[in-house]
Amino acid sequence: MTVPAGPGRPEPGDSPEERDPGLARERTSLSWTRTAISFAALGGVVLKDNVITGLIVLAVAPVIWQLGRVTRGRGPQADLPAVGATRLFIITVSIVAVSLLCLAIAIFGRAVPGALR
Amino acid sequence: MSWSRRLAALLPRTVAQDTGGTEPDPRFTFANERTFLAWSRTALALVVAGLGIVQLLPPFPGVPSGRHLIGLPLIALGAVLAVAAYAEWVHNQRALRRGEPLPRSVMPWILAATVTGIAVIAGVVLLISALK
Repeated sequence: MTVPAGPGRPEPGDSPEERDPGLARERTSLSWTRTAISFAALGGVVLKDNVITGLIVLAVAPVIWQLGRVTRGRGPQADLPAVGATRLFIITVSIVAVSLLCLAIAIFGRAVPGALR
Repeated sequence: MSWSRRLAALLPRTVAQDTGGTEPDPRFTFANERTFLAWSRTALALVVAGLGIVQLLPPFPGVPSGRHLIGLPLIALGAVLAVAAYAEWVHNQRALRRGEPLPRSVMPWILAATVTGIAVIAGVVLLISALK
């Protein structure tokens, strides 16, 4: 919050810490990557049981990764929140849709008895 | 406020039109977004766990629906947490814009209560199948 202001203060862009205070942008970008990987992991589990659904869930992973590209940009940060709501809304809708698919698989799908035995 | 108006206030278009207050420090915006993403991963992990229990575990002897009793609530909890995470992101962003204290989160309560319930179910299912 308190960036030292003074005559000796370097211009933004001089160091990573100046360009991205607290490396917040970097950490958020990594967080987006982890979320995309989580989708891929779920897709892998579903794939074992229901190939088509698994492929759908797997296809969501690169979409999520792409959504995170906004945080990877180097543009001005001021215009972020306007697009933020839509991106996060897409994630929520995806998770709810995937949960419903998984519920359907769990209820109607053919269980593999003793797959972990 | 009615439920439909509450839900309408969560739509991205409505959120984008919120110009009250001032734009918060980008670090706070990013931190709020990371919190949402972390809850999303928690939700996905719960769905994976639930699906894995139903589809991969061997059935409990004597309790034919035992796997469903444990797995289905986990999947449903994942969906609930995903929606709640988005709602809290909207409310936190709104509070950040206005410099208000952040609203208290109900998500830890939801998670703890449901996991406790599922643990009790799992214990009962195990006990019954062990006695058979």
